[in-house]
Amino acid sequence: MSETRVDFVIIGSTPLARLVAGLLASAHGKSVVFSGESQSGYRLPRAIDLSVAPITRPESWALLKAGLPEALKLLSRIGGRGAWSRVDPIFFSETPAGKEALAHIRHMALAFGHAAELVPASAIGPGRSGLLLRDAVLLHRPTLEAGLDRWLDLQGVRRCREDETLTVRSDGSAELASGEDRIEIGQAVLADDAAVIDHVPASLWPALLTRRVTSTIFTEPTRPIAASVMHRLDTGLTLVQQAGRGIAAIGPGAIDPFAAALGTLLGREREFRQAGQSSYEALATSDAAPAVGRLRGSGPDILAGLGPSGAFLAPAIARWLCGMADPAESAWLGARLVDRKAAASPVAEYGWAA
Amino acid sequence: MTSQPGRLGIAHQHHLQGSAIDRNRPLQFRLDGRIVSGFAGDTVLSAALASGIDAAGRRDGAALALSARHAPAITFAALAGDHQRALPMERTLATDGADYLTTAQKLGGNILARLLRRGGRSLDIDLDRPDALARPWLGMPAAPGPEADLVVIGGGVAGLSAALAGARRGLRVVLAEAAPLLGGKARLFGTQEGEETPDAAIARLVAAIAKSDAITVLTAAEAFALRPGAVRLHHVEMPGGTPTGRVIDIHAPHIVLATGALERLPLFPGNRLPGVIGALDAFELAQLYGLWPGWSALVATSSSPAYRLAMLVTDAGITVPRILDSRPHPQSRFIEFSKAYGITLAAGTIVASAAPAIRGNGIVAMPKLSMDGFSRAEPPLTVDRLVVCGGWQPDLTLWHMAGGESAWNAGGTRLEGRGGPAGTVLAGSAAGWVSRSACLASGSDAVDVLLGRQRRLVEDRLIDPIYETPDAPAWVGDEPDEASQPVFLDGGWRHIQRPRRVASRWPAWLPFAPRPPGWSLADTPQPLDIADIAAGVQLGAIPAASAGIVAQERVAMVAIESDQDDESRRLASPLPLPPSYLAARYAGAALWLVVPDDARMLDVGALIHANADTTDPLKAIGVVVRIVNGKAVALVAGSAGQTASVHEPGRAVGIRLVEPYRA
Repeated sequence: MSETRVDFVIIGSTPLARLVAGLLASAHGKSVVFSGESQSGYRLPRAIDLSVAPITRPESWALLKAGLPEALKLLSRIGGRGAWSRVDPIFFSETPAGKEALAHIRHMALAFGHAAELVPASAIGPGRSGLLLRDAVLLHRPTLEAGLDRWLDLQGVRRCREDETLTVRSDGSAELASGEDRIEIGQAVLADDAAVIDHVPASLWPALLTRRVTSTIFTEPTRPIAASVMHRLDTGLTLVQQAGRGIAAIGPGAIDPFAAALGTLLGREREFRQAGQSSYEALATSDAAPAVGRLRGSGPDILAGLGPSGAFLAPAIARWLCGMADPAESAWLGARLVDRKAAASPVAEYGWAA
Repeated sequence: MTSQPGRLGIAHQHHLQGSAIDRNRPLQFRLDGRIVSGFAGDTVLSAALASGIDAAGRRDGAALALSARHAPAITFAALAGDHQRALPMERTLATDGADYLTTAQKLGGNILARLLRRGGRSLDIDLDRPDALARPWLGMPAAPGPEADLVVIGGGVAGLSAALAGARRGLRVVLAEAAPLLGGKARLFGTQEGEETPDAAIARLVAAIAKSDAITVLTAAEAFALRPGAVRLHHVEMPGGTPTGRVIDIHAPHIVLATGALERLPLFPGNRLPGVIGALDAFELAQLYGLWPGWSALVATSSSPAYRLAMLVTDAGITVPRILDSRPHPQSRFIEFSKAYGITLAAGTIVASAAPAIRGNGIVAMPKLSMDGFSRAEPPLTVDRLVVCGGWQPDLTLWHMAGGESAWNAGGTRLEGRGGPAGTVLAGSAAGWVSRSACLASGSDAVDVLLGRQRRLVEDRLIDPIYETPDAPAWVGDEPDEASQPVFLDGGWRHIQRPRRVASRWPAWLPFAPRPPGWSLADTPQPLDIADIAAGVQLGAIPAASAGIVAQERVAMVAIESDQDDESRRLASPLPLPPSYLAARYAGAALWLVVPDDARMLDVGALIHANADTTDPLKAIGVVVRIVNGKAVALVAGSAGQTASVHEPGRAVGIRLVEPYRA
C-alpha cells in the first residue's frame, strides 16, 4: 500500500471542469486529479457553452469581456478549429418581466460593445420579444472534449478510473482509493451539477441551491428556427439547431411535459419527432446567479449556476482557486459565494430561479 | 407462377409452403399503379416481395432492400394525401382489388429515367429524405383502447404464456402482437430433446387463448410508446374487409413486455442490398408466405439456427452452395445435420463485403477467412440471395421508453435489461432467455412478479457449449471506403451508417496529415435503435459501460401525456419593481419618475449616467426600469430636479428626476 498527496481533485464532465483541472496543473503548477466522464460524443447534452448569456450585471459583462480572448486562445490551442464556432444567438421572452430584463440586457450588451439587435416578432412568433447578440462563441463539446482529454494527459493530470473510489469529505479534502493505494487530496472542486448532487450530503446542502428536474430532447430534423441557438429567459429553455437541422432542446420539467411545452414553442409548422431524450436533475440558485466557493467556508469548492458561459470563466476561476486572481475577479467571485443569503441578493440575475 | 417469382413451389413436400396463405385464393391489387399478385393471407408487403419487388428505394445512390423493418407506409389511392389514414405494408392484409399508394416521396429524375424504373424491382423511394419511411401515425392522437388489468406486448410463446397466466390469476388481459398472426419467432429455433415442437406449442397456447374470455387479442397491433401504466398502439383492423388503422391508448397497472429479440445485422459493405436478408426475416417470409426469391442462397452466420434455415430451404429446392460461420470451431446439432445434407461449411469465415451482381438480380459476396488473427480473402461467390445472421439482441425498445435500464453484457455482446419501473416487467427473449422452455416459464413468472406472488424457477436449458457453440458477435467486415457500398448498423429505417474511410494524399504518419473525423453519435439527428447501439459498441463509438444509458436516451420516444408545465403561473406572476436583478446595483438608488428633455419615450432598460460624457457601464448611476401610464420610472440615485443622461443606442438623452415613484 502506498499513499501520495495531490493538491486538487476536479469532479465534473463539463468543459469548465476540464479547463479548470488543466489550468490548475499547467498554469499554476498544482498536482491535480480529474474525475469526469468523457461522454459528449455519444450522450445527449445537458448544457451548452456560449460566450454570452442573459446577464444583467455590468460586472459580469466586464469579467466575461475581459476573459474571452484568453479563454478563446486556450480553447483554440487545445481543441483546434473544430472546437468552437461563431453564432448569433437569440434570447427571447414571452413574459412582461422577461421582456424588461431582455431590454436591460440589450443595453448592457451594447454598453460593453457587443452587437445586439432586436428581433422582429415575425421571426420568433407573436407576443415575444427577442434579442440577437452577434458573434458569440459556441463550443462544440464532442470535438473539444477529445482535445481537452488529450491536453489533461499532457499536463500530467491524473484521470480517475472506473474501478477507483473517490470520497469527498466535508472538510473539502478527498481520498482516491485505487486497490491498495491511496491518494490524499487537499481540496475537492465540484465543478458541475452532477458532481454537487453526488458529493454534497443533505446535511450540508446549501440553502441557495435547489435541484430541478430538467430534460433534454433531441429532435429529428425539422424546419430551421430563427437562430442556431435560442434561449428563453422565462423558463431557461435552450434550443440548439445542429447542422443536420435536428434541435437539441434543454429545459425544465420531466420529459413528457417538456415535450409538450417544446411542441407549443416550436408550433405546428415545426412538428418534431424525438430522436433522443433524457431527464436528470440540474441545479438552480435562488437568485439565478452563480454559486462558487467553499461549502460552509471550509468544505469542497462548488462551481454551480454559472450558466452557459462558465467555460469562458475557467482561467479566472483557476486563478481564484489558487489565490492568484486579480482584484476584479476576486471581487466578482467573492460576491457569489455559495453560502450567501438569497434574499435581496446583491448579485441576483433574471432567470427562472428556484 | 410468373406473376409471383418470389414464391416457393409446392410441387414436392417441404416446410416452407406458406402456412399463412391460401394458394387456392389468388388476389391482385395495385401498389403505386403496378399490379401485385398474391394470395389470401398475404400482407401487402409479402405480396409485393412475392411479385418481385425487393428494393425500397435508393439512399446515396445505393439501392436498399425492402423488408418488414424497412417498408414505407401506404394509403388507399382514393385517400392520397391523407397520411392520417396511412397503413403499414407489413401489417396490412392484402385485399383483392385494392389500390394503394406509398406515402413516401419518390425518386426524381427525368421522364426517361422514371419510365425505365417503372415496373422494376424497386418502390423507388427517395431514402435520402430524413423522413422517407417515417410512420405517419406516430404523431396521431389516440383513442381509448380496451380496459385491462394486464397488457402483454408480444404474441410469441412468452407473451402467450404471460397472457394465459394473467387470465388464470383473474386479470382482464389485452395481448397485443405486431404481426398479423400470433406465434412469434420460436419456429426458427427448432426443438430440443424432449420438447414438443414449436408448432405444437404455439397451437396449444393459441387455442387456450382463444378459449379464454378474459383475454382480448389484438393482432397487427404495434406498440410504439410506453410509460408505466400506459401503452400506445397502432392497430390495423379489417372492418368490413377493409384495412383501417387506428391509434389507441391502453391503461393498465401491469405490463409484460415479451417483445422478443432482434436479429443483429453483420457490419459489412453492402449489408442492406436488395437480396441480402436476415435469417429470421427470411425464415418468417418463407414459413408464413412461402417466399424465397431466387434459386441459390449463401448463408453467412455467427449463430447456429441459420443452419436449420439452410436445411429447410434445401428441402424446398434452393441450392445452398456454402454456409460461412464466423466462429472458428462451431459445433451444433444443426451443423451435423447440415453436413448430412451435403452443404459445404466454412468455419472462421465471414462475408467481408457484398455488391450487386453485374448481371441479373444476384449478389456477389466476398468471403474472408478470419481466424486466430489470420485473414485471407477467398474467391467471390455469386448467389441469388445472401442470408446473414449476426446473433440476437433482446428488443428493449419499449422497456427503455418506460424508463427501464439496461447494461452491456460483454460475454453475450448484447444489451440486457436491468432494473425497471414498477408495474412493467420483461419476459421471454426480451428478458434474455434463450431456450423455448425458459421463455414459456418466464411469461408466467412475469405475471407472478407483477402480482407480488411467489416466483417460479425459470431456467435456460442450454446444451453444453462443447456440443452447441454459443453465438459469436455480429461480425465486422471491411471498413467502407468512398467507393464501396455503405455499411448500416441495423436493418431498420434509421439508416445509421458506419463512417467511410476517407483517402488522403498524405501518409497518415505525417504530422499535418488529416486525421479521420471523430464519429459523434450524439449529433446523429435520428433516434438510435437498440441494434444501432449494439453495433456502436462493437465499432467503438459507444463505450460498453455507457451503452445502456445511451440506449435509454436515444430511444424513439413519443409523447403520450400532454401535461403542460407551470408556464401559466409565470405568465401571471406580478411584476416586481424594481426587479430583483437590480437589487443593490446602484448605491442609494430609489425609484423616480423621470422625464426626458425631448418629448420622446425612453428605452426601458437603458443605463443612466451622471452626464452625457460618461459611458462606462460600470459607472452608471441608474436604469430606466419601466414605462407606467406613459411615464418613465427609473431606479436611480439622486434628488428631485437632478439631471442625468440616458444612454440609448447612438445617442444620449438628457433627463430630469421629477419625483419619487409610488405605485
